[in-house]
Amino acid sequence: MTSTTHAPGVRIRDLTVVYRTPAGELPAVRGVDLELVPGTITGVVGESGSGKSTLALSLLNAVQPPGRIAAGAVEIDGLGDVLTLGGEDLRRTRGRQVGYVFQAAQNSLNPLKTIGKQLLDLGRSHDVADPRALVRDAKVLLARMGLDGGRVLDSYQHELSGGMRQRVGIMLALVLNAKVVVLDEPTTALDMITQATILRIIREVHEERELTTLVITHDVGAIAEVADGLAVMYGGRIVEHGPVRKVLATPRHPYTQGLIRAIPRLSGDISLARALPGRPPTLGTLPAQGCVFRERCERRLAVCDTDDPVVITRNGRSVACHAVERAAAVAMRKEYA
Amino acid sequence: MTVIINPEGVADPKASPAGTRATLRRNFWRGVWRVLRRKPSRMAGVAIIAVFVLMGIVGPLLYPANLPRDDNALYAPPSLAHPLGTDFEGTDVLALIVTGARYVLLTGFATAVITVTVGTAIGLFAGFRRGRWDTLLMRITDVNLAIPGLPLLLVLSTVWKFTGPLQMGLVLGLLGWGGIARAVRSQTLSLRERGFIEAARGLGLPTTHIIGRELLPGMAPYIAMNMLIAVTGAVYAQVGLFFLGVLPFESNNWGVMLNLAVFNGGALTTPAALPYLLAPLMAILLLTLGIVLIVDAMDEIFNPRLREE
Amino acid sequence: MTQTTRGRPRIGAIARKVAGHVVRGLVMIWVVATISFFIIREIPGNPVLGQYESLIQKGMSPDQAERATAVLYGFLPTGSLWQQYLGYMGSLLHLDLGRSLSTPGVEVTTLIGSAARWTVLPVLAGTLLSFLLGVTMGVYAAIKRSGKLGDMLALSGSLLHGVPVYVIGLLLTAIFATLWPILPSGGPVDVEFTPGLNPGYVGSLLQHAVLPVVTYTLASYGGWILAMKSNVVAVLGDDFILAAELRGMTRGIVFRYLARNAILPLFTILALSIGMLFGGSIFIEEIFNYPGLGLLLVNSISSRDYALMGGTFLVITIGIVVANIVADLLYTVIDPRVRSGGAA
Repeated sequence: MTSTTHAPGVRIRDLTVVYRTPAGELPAVRGVDLELVPGTITGVVGESGSGKSTLALSLLNAVQPPGRIAAGAVEIDGLGDVLTLGGEDLRRTRGRQVGYVFQAAQNSLNPLKTIGKQLLDLGRSHDVADPRALVRDAKVLLARMGLDGGRVLDSYQHELSGGMRQRVGIMLALVLNAKVVVLDEPTTALDMITQATILRIIREVHEERELTTLVITHDVGAIAEVADGLAVMYGGRIVEHGPVRKVLATPRHPYTQGLIRAIPRLSGDISLARALPGRPPTLGTLPAQGCVFRERCERRLAVCDTDDPVVITRNGRSVACHAVERAAAVAMRKEYA
Repeated sequence: MTVIINPEGVADPKASPAGTRATLRRNFWRGVWRVLRRKPSRMAGVAIIAVFVLMGIVGPLLYPANLPRDDNALYAPPSLAHPLGTDFEGTDVLALIVTGARYVLLTGFATAVITVTVGTAIGLFAGFRRGRWDTLLMRITDVNLAIPGLPLLLVLSTVWKFTGPLQMGLVLGLLGWGGIARAVRSQTLSLRERGFIEAARGLGLPTTHIIGRELLPGMAPYIAMNMLIAVTGAVYAQVGLFFLGVLPFESNNWGVMLNLAVFNGGALTTPAALPYLLAPLMAILLLTLGIVLIVDAMDEIFNPRLREE
Repeated sequence: MTQTTRGRPRIGAIARKVAGHVVRGLVMIWVVATISFFIIREIPGNPVLGQYESLIQKGMSPDQAERATAVLYGFLPTGSLWQQYLGYMGSLLHLDLGRSLSTPGVEVTTLIGSAARWTVLPVLAGTLLSFLLGVTMGVYAAIKRSGKLGDMLALSGSLLHGVPVYVIGLLLTAIFATLWPILPSGGPVDVEFTPGLNPGYVGSLLQHAVLPVVTYTLASYGGWILAMKSNVVAVLGDDFILAAELRGMTRGIVFRYLARNAILPLFTILALSIGMLFGGSIFIEEIFNYPGLGLLLVNSISSRDYALMGGTFLVITIGIVVANIVADLLYTVIDPRVRSGGAA
């Protein structure tokens, strides 16, 4: 077992991932900077096509062709830059140092083998000396998540419900004591009760095991319940990032504002919920220069067409928006005037 | 991955329906052209099939009704006068191939039309009606699929003399519709599952419209591909039957050539008759190659998932 | 659905499945037997009645002639259609397929039995060989699918799959028996050797088997490589392969996951194709003059031995029916999703 007892920090720097298309290489993630503070849960929200899944895969240097990491670094404490790893080093990192949990609706388990056999395959891949201890650890983890470990290990994937599969996925990501965990859409396609259970489990296991966790989702509600920090992605860029409560309470970027307005509240008038106009960009429709959100933005300025907004960080919150920047500058001038 | 790449040239949803259809059609042909151009081999496939079709249409017109014989040149080797040599009567083999193409291709075409019509009709009906009709038709389809085709053809040849290419096509077609029927049925059922048919019903559209305008267009590519494959299947089956010698030789045909070369000419023991044997074999090989290349292109046109980036 | 359906095979479900298959198989066999009956009866010139009359002309009493003909075809030459039909089905139930005319006096079942040997062994060898070869190359073609080599493999597979078996057989013979005579092309064995386990006989057997087996192999190889390629490509797109890689599984284990999932559906096709090849071997046996079931069928037709024809056709069909049942059971045994009765 590794001896890292403290949660490692993760720093993503200037990450750019491009996809090869008939129209040339197009960026799915462009110039992203993101720091995962040790011991915290960071949520990344965005619509489909925003590049959030690509970002998640970059953490394991696992962007699939025709995608390619064009630039940047992903530094994990104790590991160095993951993007420079390759071959066996990279393989050993995956699963052992960085755990990855797939969306529950995706079949992340081999349908022809029992969970237990796949667990043993995992152990063999990572040279676990004592398979019995591994099975014991797995059973403890499963029991911690409210499952009958022995029974689950004897089951095939198709014999498990969605919520059970998701817990098995979490178990497989953690059983080798990975300290960095990436969860890709952990609650999508689960019913409400199961969603709540999975979110609670993520939170609790995260704290007990002292992990650094990244949760990717399109569900702002789920993030609000579980995350410490929140990053909002749009068109391959992180447009806003900050402590989850602050971002949700006082969203600054027009996109974040629209996103939160679009959530219907249980208490309150449903007509107040307003969907964002327009459609999210795809790789092909992404503007080559200027702000990626401007087509749907209600605070669009002339400068948005030509210049990429720079990420401005103030008081632990960062925003990339010309309009916000200008308003802040005006406010600042007023203060000094 | 949730990266959606907008294929260029997708019709503007706001355009008028008629305009959309025209645009779609134009885009379709542009797509066909692009797919063909990407691999030169596909162009070759189209060219090969074009040559064969031409051969079937005008081939017999190029030669006299009774091909000339030359008693001084039996089993002559390939030469300028006889590019593919001659047969046991001194007839030019190339002429035999060219004039024999019509019979072969006509059978293939007739078979394909019958296979596709019967198969699509039965599949649509079963999938559309469901219930008892479906069960009954699918049982019949099972039997149709499970009975070994070639042995059945052989046995049938004792009572039914397949005279002429069209009758032959009829028999082959009536034996071979099972696969298409099953596939069309499952397509219909899956469209049904997606609420397609109910939605159309809800809009008050008549059944003929639902089938003709909603169901068939989606399946057309699949059916077209199967039609091509049915052509080859029929060509092989009939040439094979003539080769086995269970059918009366009524006219010039590639299968008859094979039979005569092997069982009369002794092409498998003496090299003299080899060109006579190889010529029809090469014709079949070329035809197969052409169809394989075209099916490969069609596959890519109709299954965008297969398009390599 | 319950939370966990345990992986035990449900004996009841499987028994019901088998029963369903057997019933359907029997119906199939009945249909084919009926077709045979009517064809034999409807053949121009009515061979059954003809045989009966010729026996009478040879001086037999009508009674004797009737019985002798019945022994040949399994039903009486006189009597109503219905009586004849019942008689034919009755003798089928006693596994009596009648007697051969071209090999006088020998029971059809005996002839079929000795021909089956010559079909089964080469078919089995060719099928297994092509399966192994096609599956291996299919994986390769899938992994290299965007390169020149993958293209070539797929194209050669499509061609071999598309080309009729007699073209392959004739080409091989033309090359290896006529142009460059290194292999024998006719018959199952050279006549100069005495049958038995002596090196000369066995060597000759093997030598004569080379071209038929290679033809079988090439003819079915194309189907395997194409099927395996498309299965591998499909499984490569499945999430669990990426998941296994992201869990840091070794390449070997990921490859095993991939291969096992891709090959599974092929096993049922394998069972089916072994059944099918009893009928599909006709061309190969004709070309190589190999005395198997296919040649028996063709010869029975050209020698107007209709009882033999009907019997051979029936046996070929039974082979396919049995293969269908085996294939379905095999799937139940090897796929855990089907095994536990749940939907995949």
